[in-house]
Amino acid sequence: MKKIYTVLIAVFSFVLTMNAQAQEKSITGTVTSKSDGATLPGVSVVIKGTTKGTETDFDGKYTIKASEGDVLSFSFLGMKTKEVTVGESNTLNVTLEDDSDQLDEIVVTALGVKKTRKSLTYAAQDINAAELNTVKQTNPMNSLSGKVAGLNITRSSSGAGGSVKVVLRGNSSIGNNQPLYVIDGIPLQNPSASQPGDTFGDVNGGNKDGGDALSLINPDDIESLSVLKGASASALYGSAGLNGVILITTKSGKNGKFKVNANSNLTVDTAAYYMDFNGDAEKNVDSFFQSGFSNINSITVSGGNEKAQTYFSYGNTSSEGIIPTNKLNQHTFNVRETAQLFNDKLKLNASIMGSTQSIKNRPVSGLYFNPLVGVYGFESDTESLSDYENFEELDTNRNVMAQRWFRATSDIEQNPYWILNRNKSSDTNSKLVASLNLNYQVNEWLALQARGTYDRSQLDYERKIYATTEATLAPANGRYMFNQYDYTQYYADFIATVNKNLSEKVNLNAVVGTSTTRNTAETFIADSGTNGGLQFANVFAFQNFNANPQVNFSQQSFESRSNSIFMSATFGFSEKVFVDVTARNDWTSTIPQPNNSFFYPSIGATGVLSELFDLGEKVSFAKVRASYAEVGSGFGPDQISPNRGILFGGGVSPVDPIRPFPGTTPKPERQRSFEIGTEWKFNNNRLGFDIGYYRTSTVNQYFAVPVSTTVVSSGVAGLNAGDIVNSGIEFTAFAIPFQNEDFEWRTNVNFATNKNEILSISGEDLDGLISPEFFTISPKGVNTFGSYLVEGGSFGDIYAQVVKRDENGTPIVDGDAVIMDEENLVDGLTKVGNANPDFTLGWSNSFKYKNFSLNLMIDGKFGGETVSMTEAIVEGFSNNSARETSNSNVTVVDLAGNESTLTAQEYYGKVGGRNGFTGEYVYSATNVRLAELALGYTFNLNNDSFFKNVRASLVGNNLFFFYKDAPHDPNVSLSTGNALQGVDVLGLPSTRSLGLNINLTF
Amino acid sequence: MKNKIILYTCLLAITLISSSCSDNLEQYNVNDRNITQEQLEVDFQHVGSKYKPIFESIYQYAPAWSYQLQQNLNADVYSGYMTNPRPFVAGANNTTYALVSGWNGFIWSVPYSNVMNNVQSITELTGDDFPTLNAVALILKVSAMHRVADVFGPIVYSNFGDLENAGVYDSQQEAYNAFFADLDTAVAALSANLDSQRFGAFDLSYGGDYTKWVRLANSLRLRLAIRISKVDPAKAKSEGEKALSQAQGVMMANDDSFFVNSALDHPLAVIDNSWGDIRMNASMESILSGYSDSRIGSYFTESTDFPGEFKGVRNGLPLQAGYADELAQKAAYVGFSGFNANIKTPKVQLMTASEVYFLKAEAALRGWSGAGDAQSNYESGIMMSFDQHGASGAANYIADNTSTPANYVDPVNNENNALALTSNTVAWDNGADNETKLEKIITQKWIAMFPEGQEAWSEFRRTGYPKIFPVVSNQSGGAIDTDIQIRRIPFVDSEKSTNADNVQTATSFLKGPDNGGTRLWWDTGAPNF
Repeated sequence: MKKIYTVLIAVFSFVLTMNAQAQEKSITGTVTSKSDGATLPGVSVVIKGTTKGTETDFDGKYTIKASEGDVLSFSFLGMKTKEVTVGESNTLNVTLEDDSDQLDEIVVTALGVKKTRKSLTYAAQDINAAELNTVKQTNPMNSLSGKVAGLNITRSSSGAGGSVKVVLRGNSSIGNNQPLYVIDGIPLQNPSASQPGDTFGDVNGGNKDGGDALSLINPDDIESLSVLKGASASALYGSAGLNGVILITTKSGKNGKFKVNANSNLTVDTAAYYMDFNGDAEKNVDSFFQSGFSNINSITVSGGNEKAQTYFSYGNTSSEGIIPTNKLNQHTFNVRETAQLFNDKLKLNASIMGSTQSIKNRPVSGLYFNPLVGVYGFESDTESLSDYENFEELDTNRNVMAQRWFRATSDIEQNPYWILNRNKSSDTNSKLVASLNLNYQVNEWLALQARGTYDRSQLDYERKIYATTEATLAPANGRYMFNQYDYTQYYADFIATVNKNLSEKVNLNAVVGTSTTRNTAETFIADSGTNGGLQFANVFAFQNFNANPQVNFSQQSFESRSNSIFMSATFGFSEKVFVDVTARNDWTSTIPQPNNSFFYPSIGATGVLSELFDLGEKVSFAKVRASYAEVGSGFGPDQISPNRGILFGGGVSPVDPIRPFPGTTPKPERQRSFEIGTEWKFNNNRLGFDIGYYRTSTVNQYFAVPVSTTVVSSGVAGLNAGDIVNSGIEFTAFAIPFQNEDFEWRTNVNFATNKNEILSISGEDLDGLISPEFFTISPKGVNTFGSYLVEGGSFGDIYAQVVKRDENGTPIVDGDAVIMDEENLVDGLTKVGNANPDFTLGWSNSFKYKNFSLNLMIDGKFGGETVSMTEAIVEGFSNNSARETSNSNVTVVDLAGNESTLTAQEYYGKVGGRNGFTGEYVYSATNVRLAELALGYTFNLNNDSFFKNVRASLVGNNLFFFYKDAPHDPNVSLSTGNALQGVDVLGLPSTRSLGLNINLTF
Repeated sequence: MKNKIILYTCLLAITLISSSCSDNLEQYNVNDRNITQEQLEVDFQHVGSKYKPIFESIYQYAPAWSYQLQQNLNADVYSGYMTNPRPFVAGANNTTYALVSGWNGFIWSVPYSNVMNNVQSITELTGDDFPTLNAVALILKVSAMHRVADVFGPIVYSNFGDLENAGVYDSQQEAYNAFFADLDTAVAALSANLDSQRFGAFDLSYGGDYTKWVRLANSLRLRLAIRISKVDPAKAKSEGEKALSQAQGVMMANDDSFFVNSALDHPLAVIDNSWGDIRMNASMESILSGYSDSRIGSYFTESTDFPGEFKGVRNGLPLQAGYADELAQKAAYVGFSGFNANIKTPKVQLMTASEVYFLKAEAALRGWSGAGDAQSNYESGIMMSFDQHGASGAANYIADNTSTPANYVDPVNNENNALALTSNTVAWDNGADNETKLEKIITQKWIAMFPEGQEAWSEFRRTGYPKIFPVVSNQSGGAIDTDIQIRRIPFVDSEKSTNADNVQTATSFLKGPDNGGTRLWWDTGAPNF
């Protein structure tokens, strides 16, 4: 069957290549590695100056039609490219050397433009699949923590399938701070239906993590990942790439026999990092949490021939969380077909990726619908928490099964088992990305490419709340909530690539193109509400809603479109000096004309010092780079002049939605960024480092500024304001201290520091009319934690209620009243620190000894503060903390200066609580942990064994902290948006995982 | 050559595509599930739809927690009507004078966000062409904002929405003058067009009957006039007499009372039934049971912990010793008396005809013309209230000259017991001095106005009546006197942070620092006569 296929293709190509010149003959050979003689599959074999080429098959063999005198170029990632001229012989065997130089290594940059690493004028860091998947996680972005300087990863506390907050070079925007994810050149739509913003929690279902698109991608499909850190790197992506870009290249089929790879990863997770409880409470907490597990299996099949290659993968994840009843099931499939048509002039690349994810009882944070309130607060002399696993009993008055708990339920506290079984939530997410890419090589220096993608995400959420749930959350017959979000993105672009030597010394690598994007979002929300209610108890369907205006039905439709043209040109001078210029102009539908056009330029230069000057033997590579870029950002859809909403059965909304401040026209946000850096490698690439400095200034952000309600009724108006500067240093170093036949030790260090300054938050021309003292990121609401932007402060400053202390630092408590410190208040709270670290350090080591390998990754964040509102709540509402039941005392003074002593229980009972003195619960966020550990073994196999490669590893994640001050894990946050950073409000404790990974290739 | 042609063709294509890039992209930028201005103009809803939020926000219906913060945990408790069985914030909250600024922001934000902006919009659209529609909006505005002025003192009223004088406060006196002026405009416009049915479709109170709206305006004027009767007797008399002499008069029968009829549940229903966050106040128990007032059964339910008894909770309780936390103490008090279903119907009561009779009784004591006879107004007020609540025994009650308010006993903790603070009786006594007569009037007015705590609190501050119990625990750090009781709420945090300069000016209008102990303009602290 395969032979017929090959013959057909051959005939077809023969028919189409009538222009074949010169006598072509068939050249075959084997490519092996110089270091160990192993055959090398997947080596690219190209006739230099053309695009005709092939790849070596699994046995390292290739066949190509070429003429005598043609130069064949053999290249492979990590090895030095070799060129060999075709001579008389039809057999050409080649050996390739390891290229630790990686000088000519091709990296994929913005928009899929390929450049050599040495010509980059900005900082970029690459991670290959092996490094990424050392310890596999459901969301592949989690695996980047500590591996890229300047990249700060914070996981959501929502367990498996949770979203990840990825921040490059500090927070600069009050809007979106997350980078753009690009998969194979196409921007990925990454909507997050909702992220928590309130410490109380959302009474409509609890603070939930809306998830992100990355958790829907199979980590095994990723071939390599490139982090383009600053605006210079991402200017070509326009406003979407404002915060940097993470470029993901996925695997595609290779010429060669069909190859199958199967990988299975099983880890067991245990609840590891939470506050100290006293003996009884600890027993109850332990009885509640279970060991979770995570099982990620995937199978990939790839293969093909010279003309067409296929890649297919299927991944399956099933996991259970540490909270009982929390489950995740996910299926991902990916099919990619690549083909070379018309004598290899036309390349076609078509792919479909789909995934569905179903999560039951995704953990929430905050106080509403959070089982941890009851778990941490359970206090009884006669019963234990597990007695309440029997969570309901018949209520004879109503003839319904009613919740039972050791005391009356309250707005924030219910029987945790009742919440998990009778307030169940279910998330069903699915994603489909279909793309088509056609690339036509017109001649040797010009190629044309057209691409189109359809990217659709649908996020469904529902919560079924049974009768006898706490009255603040649901009326007598229960409550049903259903949300559906449907996001679509259509993207198309058309690009011309030019790669030409303008003269002997000058090379031009340029891209000119145009693109169009259309995004739509449809949302539907139905909620029988806290007062509307259901007609009949426990039937969860819309027709059972009471027909009164206190139920909620609403729909929203948003659309935005943007068109752009862009250009990028890199001039190389003798391959020693490179100058890079990019320009892009966007027209967007979200701003009315004539302000709807933005222009983003960037310019950069790099000089390869090791080639320009003679630096001696020891220096194998050195370069300097500098670049400057300007990027901007538009608005979301319907932000400029939104209309009033309608309340179901309730008339028109009383308040106008947030609009620009009367009399002003909003402008787009602008970011100016500058970076310089230098990279050096020594001793034949056994040692090297890269250090860079950047400074980014973001102005004209569109804030929803608090305005007096006497001026604008909604209390907020949109205004361009703000001048936020991020500056910092990024340093990476690597060394190979040992390298011989049997043993190798590689070590990598990443260090980054970021300083964020808020130079101003006031807007233009409006002095006196509104003068916001602060801008709110996390509102205080009725609790005592908030996060605000204040002139002279930094992004991530956190505020709490602080006890007043006398000159000796003793807290002042007068009778019943704890006295509050009222100096320098912002929104009634005092600044207690900042959620972001001063600097981060990642250190990874990889040891190879014969067939064994050991990878260790240590991840440290230094500086920053975090508030444990969890501890405040536990101490305010119960006596379960270890500290409260210890025999310690706290000295206090009253207003007159008289000292007295309170027991720890009395003192913390007074200062605790969600709206108490959270300033007593501030901890340093500094932590150093063993983030990843993997011990692997590659089995020796006979040549005739069924398997080509078998590898097993023991893997561990988040194993222990060398140092941690806070009672919770500071690397986890309640939200992956901007709010709720630096505070823990009953977030799910983070876990320690240990498991096994088996990889088979056959 | 061929390649150059291809290249230039591509560049041309790109340029052509891009030149059409910016055309008309804006049309995509609208969320068509919201309502546009044009769509609102159908059936004149661009005006009409704005009334509903105003009606529903004077005493806010929904969400119930917003009402709880707007009024229930301040005026409703300070009035002596009701109190919270759960000592929020470990007993350090509004009710124990540790004012919670995060709560009190809603007293300000609800009227400014939901009432003032919509009134301004209606005035802009109807001021010239449909003066009666504007008139109703003005009456609603006064009705909402005098309550806010009576909480804070100086408020932003005449400069609302004026970008030239953005956020500039009126002193309370300037605000009251503006209220009177707005009522003048309203009455004039309505009187000229009494038969018009224009407002019928949007009226949640009187079915479009402008005569009743004029009566409401006159009654409001009378209420405000009485309020300033001590600080500016001349102005008070002139406004009061104006109200009493206007052609449509003031409220006379129960169907003149000002209720808002919405489809939403009464917020007290949620706060009482679902949350158990509000219970009868000990002062209510002392006065109603002392007088054997049969309205007690229409207002409250018998206590579940003490069957057969109407039991109130003492206000201003701290987190008492012996209770581990707030919930434990709540469990001890939640079984005290809650509210009768009659109080929690979807009709929100804002002003009753009975109150107007008591206003007239006081006006008579002050010698205003047109006020009639103090005793007959007093007795009519009582009867009107009994009638409104379907309570029996009005005649005996009015004749009762022996019953006095009872001593209060807290069965859970005897330390909260309190002796009755007055020995005044129900029956009118023509021979008594004005002060005693006023105490009767205000005490009966207080009972009749239940559950509208805002007005009751204002009148308590003005007159010192009825004699309600002080807080058990005063955690104001010296700012508020326990016996004088709380006088106002400080300016809200959102104003201090977004409108700081004007708040500072407003503070200078006050008679003291910006805290809960400073008296308002009409709160002279002087004797009542």
